[in-house]
Formats: sequence, structure tokens, C-alpha cells
Amino acid sequence: MSGTPNLRARQPVRDSEASTPAGGTTLTTRLPIHPRFPSTPSRFTASTTPLTNRSSRWTPGNRGGAPSTPHGLRAMQRRAANTPGRERRKSGRGQRESVFDVLRNLSKALAPESQPIRSSPQAQPEPESESEIDEIDELDNETPPERPRLSLPLEEVEEDDDDDGSPEIRPPRMSLALEDDDMTHTSVEYPRRATFDRDRPRLSMMSYGATRLDENFGDATGLESDSDAGDFTGIIGDEDGEQDETIISQSAFDRGGETEDLGRFNFEFNFPSPNAPVDDLDADGPTNDDEGFELPAIGLEPGLNLVPDDSEVGDATGDSNVELNLPSRVSMSESPGFVGGGVRDEEIIVQGSKQKKLSRHGIPVPNMPAGVVRKLATRFARARAGPKAKVSKTTLAAIEQASSWYFEQASEDLAAYSKHAGRKTIDEADVTALMRRQRHLNNTTTVFSLAQKHLPKELLQDMRLPMPPR
Amino acid sequence: MAATQKLYPRATVKRIVKAQANRSLSKNADILIFLDYMLFMQELMREASIRSRKAGEKNISPNSVRKVTEKTLRKFKG
Repeated sequence: MSGTPNLRARQPVRDSEASTPAGGTTLTTRLPIHPRFPSTPSRFTASTTPLTNRSSRWTPGNRGGAPSTPHGLRAMQRRAANTPGRERRKSGRGQRESVFDVLRNLSKALAPESQPIRSSPQAQPEPESESEIDEIDELDNETPPERPRLSLPLEEVEEDDDDDGSPEIRPPRMSLALEDDDMTHTSVEYPRRATFDRDRPRLSMMSYGATRLDENFGDATGLESDSDAGDFTGIIGDEDGEQDETIISQSAFDRGGETEDLGRFNFEFNFPSPNAPVDDLDADGPTNDDEGFELPAIGLEPGLNLVPDDSEVGDATGDSNVELNLPSRVSMSESPGFVGGGVRDEEIIVQGSKQKKLSRHGIPVPNMPAGVVRKLATRFARARAGPKAKVSKTTLAAIEQASSWYFEQASEDLAAYSKHAGRKTIDEADVTALMRRQRHLNNTTTVFSLAQKHLPKELLQDMRLPMPPR
Repeated sequence: MAATQKLYPRATVKRIVKAQANRSLSKNADILIFLDYMLFMQELMREASIRSRKAGEKNISPNSVRKVTEKTLRKFKG
């Protein structure tokens, strides 16, 4: 074949495969060449010399169709063996069993049906939908549990309280949190304390006869405090209609004023423009219990109201006492301070406080001496703001006002504690209880450590004598 | 502490609390009350100075004290 010695000589150099001259393979490989390249030696030599031609001769792809050369066949087989998919397509030829085939056969033998796996996702959504339905039902069913909450803990509360339940669920007081510069753990208690404030007058009133009116007052204010008072308008109107007579006849007026103050205190704080719904309510109801009694009450029935009030307070001195109480209430009460949080109310109050002050019990209250207040203020201001911190006169007035409010608040709390303990006097235990509730005392801080920090030695000695350290 | 050489007017504090609470005080309760009052003042001045500093004032202004008063009183509500 192609007996040209040139070719022979060149090929071993170029192709290692075809190099064996005597092998049968070489013969077969050259077989296909013949039809293509007719035996004319000139052409043959010409064709073999260029690389491109030679490569085309050997690569099976160029020939199209099925590979006729054994190398091509072998290559095809190898490729088929490496890609099992092709083999599968050839369907059962099974020339060479790959690992996959073995595994597939094994799996077929072991688990003839793989169906049950598919069914699981279908089954799941059904129970989910059922559970959802159940949740909705539960939510619907949840409403009854709220009922018990509506009723006030007080035993004697009348049927009116069914309506009152709604104000109990108050929206979270977001405005407070936003206003505060630094939120501390105590601020979490604000809502609770607010409710306590609201309830306290009622509780105190419960012991005395005229509970009903005050509760209504408190409730009305409570409704005020809700931003969505519009919902309750109907209810309020009804209440007003029911209780008009009683309120007018009995009218424990001062107490009402107190609760009203507390109510405003809760309320104006949070929502700057609460009065509008109340006015609407008043328009509905014949009597303006909610708002009207604030000022008109003073003018209306000073004589009538004050008598029950005094009996309740304990020092019933008569009308004069009444007149005394009112201004004291205006000047001293802490509530206006709370109400305003703003300047205008407090300024008015400050002006009032310049006058002779009386406590709510009608006892004249001395001022904290300005010198002491200034000393403390400058001392603490210096501790904060450096040695040159000054406290101006107007600032001092504000501080004095604050301290007078503080004393009123603290002494009310102390009185409550001592009363709860069944004592007539305010004891050290009451003060420690107060400080504990103010979170000044805890497991690590005792009264004595605080006192050591703040008080001069003489006072410390006085303290230690009666109170052995716990 | 060194600043308060003189004792505070114990009688005055006693009278204030007595009048407000309509109850008598035990012998040394007023010391503790005054201690609490000092804590209150400390807190008040602290808050006021923070507020005034935030507002860019040099000294503590009465306004900042007033703004802070209510918050501090709430903190001291027993």
C-alpha cells in the first residue's frame, strides 16, 4: 500500500500510533484512506505532506457518520461508557455496566416503587390549612377570656363597670417613651403607675360611702385618656344619662376634682388634643360631668360638696376649710405639674405658690428654705457640670417648685404606707419602703450606704441609733 | 458632703411632711426623707443639666428644670 518510502519514513516521526509498520492495526487504519485518496502517488504524497490533511484523515469527526476506524469505534465506546445517558438511550444494549447501572438495578430490585415519597408534600398542606382554620377559631374564641379583665377587682363595683372595662385596655403609651430622654427601667413602670394613680382615689374612696360618683369620674377621665374616645362616646352618653341625678345630688365634688386631676394627668400627657371628643360627649349628655366640674364645680356647690369631702378627709372644719382646700389644690397639687410637662401651667402655678401654701389637709406648709435648696442644687449641679456651674434665680424657683411637689408626693406615699401598716405615724420603715420602691435601695444598696454617701456625719449617727443595720 | 457643714432644717422637713401627709413622723424618719430628697435633687439636677447641655445652654435654665421635673417626679413615685 502506498508504497512510497517517503511516506513511510515520515509517518513514524509524526504519529506514534501509526508508527508500527507491521501491525494489523496499521493496516486497518490505512484502509479507509484508500477510497478517499486514489492511489496516484503524486496526489498521495501531496496530500500526506500538509498537516491539515493528515489530521483530517485521522479524526473521525471529519468523516461524519459512524466511525469506521477501530480507534474511532473505541473512542465512541469509551465516550458511551463514560456517559451512561447515551447508553440508556441505546436502550438495553448494556455494552458496559457502569457503577450507576449496578446501583440503579440494585435500587430497582430493593425498592420497586418510590411513589410514597411524592405523596408527603401533598399531604402536608391539608393539615396546615386545617390548623389555620383552628387558629382563627381560637382567635374568635379568645374574646371571652377578656371579659374577666373588664370587671374591676373591687368587689362592690356596680354594673357600670361593665362599661368601664373598655378603658382598662389602653393603648400602649408610646408618647411617653418617645419624649423621655433616657429610658430607664423605672420608665417601664409608667403605665402601671398611671393605673395605680387612677385607681388610688377610687380605692381610698371605697372605704367611704360615696364611691359611685368618684368611680364614674375616674372612668370618665379614663375614657378621656383614650385616644380613640370616639368609640366610647355612645357608652359615655349612656353613663351620663344614668348617673346624672346621682351626681348632681351627691357630688362628692372635691374628690371628683382630684380624680379629674389625675385623669388629666394621665391624659394630657399623652395626647395633646383630647378635649374635642369630650366636648362631643358633653353635647350628648345633659350634664358635663367629665369636664364641667373642673371649674364650675367650685362655683356650683361649694357648701354641699365640701361637707362629705371633709368628713372623708377627717378634719372637717366646714366651709372655710373648703375654700382653703381649693386654692391649696390649685397651688400645690403635683398634678398640674404633670399635666403641663409644659411651661405655661407651671408658671401659673409658680405664681400661685408664692402665696401662703396649704396642704390638702388644710395645714399650712412651710417652704423648704431657699438656702438649703440652693445649696443642694449648686452642689449637684457642680457635680455634673463642673465647678463653675451656677444656678440662676429663676432656675432656683423652678427647683423649689419641683421640690415642693416632691415633698407632697413623697409624703402622700409615706402616709399611704403608714396607713397600710396600721400606724398613725410615718416610720423609718415607710421611708425605706418608699426608697425601695423608688429603686434606690436594693440588695446591694442599703439605707446606710446611701446615707454615708450623702448625709453628714451627725445625721448618720442619729440614724444609726434607732435603726440597727439589717 | 463637705459642702453641707450645716445640718438641714430638720424641723422644717418634718413640718412639711407632717402637713402634707397629715400624719406625725417618727423620730428620725425625717433624716431618711431628707436623704431621699437629696437623691431627688441629685436626679433632678442631673436630668436638668443633661437637658440643658443638649439644648446648648451654658447653665441650667429654668425651662430645662421644669421640663425635667415631671419625669423625675415620676421616677420618685413610690
